Amino acid sequence: MSKPNRTARYNTGVATLLEAKSLTKRYGQTIALESVDFQVSDGITGLLGPNGAGKSTATKLFLGLLKPTSGSAEVLGEKPYESLEIRARLGYMPEHDCLPAAITASEFLTHMVQVSGIPPSQARTRAADILRHVGLEEERYRPIGQYSTGMKQRVKLAQSLAHDPVVALLDEPTAGLDPGGREDMLRLIRRTGHEFGISIILSSHLMGDVESTCDRIIVLESGHVTEQGAVAQFTRETETVLIDVDGNRDELVAALAGRGITATVDGISLAVELNDDAQYDAIRDALVESNARLRRMAPRRHQLTDIFRSDES
Amino acid sequence: MTQRTGELFDLGYQHYDGPREGRARARKAVFFDGFRTTLGLGRGAGAKVLPMLLFGAAMAPAIILALVASLSDGQLDLPGHPEYYSIVSVVLLIFAAIIAPELLCPDRRNGVISLYLVRPLSITDYVAARWLAFFAITLLLVYSGQMVLLAGLVLSASDPLDYIKDNWLDIPRILSAGFLLAAFITTLPLAVSAFTDRRALAAAFVIGIFVISTAASGILTGCDEGGGHRGGGECEPITGDAGKWLSMVDISRAPTYVNNMIFDADSGDPRDRLNAELPPIVPIAWYILLTGGLGAALWLRYRRLSV
Repeated sequence: MSKPNRTARYNTGVATLLEAKSLTKRYGQTIALESVDFQVSDGITGLLGPNGAGKSTATKLFLGLLKPTSGSAEVLGEKPYESLEIRARLGYMPEHDCLPAAITASEFLTHMVQVSGIPPSQARTRAADILRHVGLEEERYRPIGQYSTGMKQRVKLAQSLAHDPVVALLDEPTAGLDPGGREDMLRLIRRTGHEFGISIILSSHLMGDVESTCDRIIVLESGHVTEQGAVAQFTRETETVLIDVDGNRDELVAALAGRGITATVDGISLAVELNDDAQYDAIRDALVESNARLRRMAPRRHQLTDIFRSDES
Repeated sequence: MTQRTGELFDLGYQHYDGPREGRARARKAVFFDGFRTTLGLGRGAGAKVLPMLLFGAAMAPAIILALVASLSDGQLDLPGHPEYYSIVSVVLLIFAAIIAPELLCPDRRNGVISLYLVRPLSITDYVAARWLAFFAITLLLVYSGQMVLLAGLVLSASDPLDYIKDNWLDIPRILSAGFLLAAFITTLPLAVSAFTDRRALAAAFVIGIFVISTAASGILTGCDEGGGHRGGGECEPITGDAGKWLSMVDISRAPTYVNNMIFDADSGDPRDRLNAELPPIVPIAWYILLTGGLGAALWLRYRRLSV
């Protein structure tokens, strides 16, 4: 079977998947995005920011659900707001509920794959395959209304992937999940991005989700891009270690200060910003020098709000 | 090398290299999904009961009339093609009021609509496909009834060929009047459904419109004491000359008035007679205004939908 040209064009040789050019979106007087520029290439990219930062607006602009006020949001060089064709190669997992209760996951996915343009016979196979990949093989003939939150989230993910998109935009995919379910979901997303070869834009306000899953990160705040880069570099800059000691805490602070490390009191703990791994040795030496009894020392995963607080200081 | 059987392999994720048919396939999928939803296919038994009951209720008058006609050998003056649509329109309206909202309300209530809108499909495609799905079923229903009736009348005639020769005009009349009735019965409940997420509310509202407008029109065009009754003489409405205009207050009769014109028939109903006094263009314009206006409301409402 010959491969359609369209598929070949989209799957190979395109360096930039998504591109925002002076992208602006206003709702009346409210500015959601203000002249934003960024590019997204292959892999898993995190779109990080607090609620109201413009993440969902950016996602909807790239899906063609919204029209930019000015500038452009392009996917593979085309504007989804104008081109229906490009939407066949996009996947979307919304944050809100988007599933019917009365029909089975198998039925629902088969239908949505067809709405993405795939003929019925192939649609059924695609639906069954993707439900197996997200771990819903056994339950696929049960009405979705009977599913747990975790299973529903997996159906939402499955419908965004079943038509084999080039890129899938996932809006807060771990919302409402317990820690176990959250870890499962993030593992699935990593697999999708790295094994399935479907690029992912993961929109989240949780640093931990982005850090453990994404290759690159774009930080949005109040409608502007404030940071972007590889996740590894980004998280190293912001890692905090929490130290709990029994007594001699002031001596420890002094000993750390003597080694050029600033420790701040955070509740019952001391918080130390780490810039490189060698500082662990310095902390160990400071503990010995101050004769403080160490009870606990653990890295703290930054919440996004902490990053912004430290940026402001 | 020997082939071993019975082993399972996980082939991992497979990319899709088959045909992608874009917008045309998307439209078809939404259309057939609407078709299946209306008939309750692919759902539990409960979802099928109501469509089947209403389908039966719409077909019953045709079957009974056809049977009676064939047993009476054309001796009785029975309701025929011109009257069939006004007889079943009540059942059709209930059918549409209850089932049509199912095509639009749940998609917005469950949020599924946002998944449609990110696919290769415009909002107009979505609404048009849903409308066409319900229209196709309504059309099938009204035509089936007329065809059963026609078959009964042809077979009970002493000379079936002569009957067809004399009455062949009934066929284009059945087709055009049925088309207009189906378009009206599809558009009204779908337009109402565009304004509420709740199916029950949409159904109640549609039925309410019919009950209230029929009652209001009945009061406004009510005959004086001793005036005409069904099949009787002329009716003098209490509102005098305005009565013929007020006959149009009854929204459910908008397609019936046009139906009577198409069949060039006198149903004997006082309101139909009053309406027939108006210039023909008036009921036609009223029908177009109502159906077109409701269709436009449906479309505009969806155009402005934000997800």
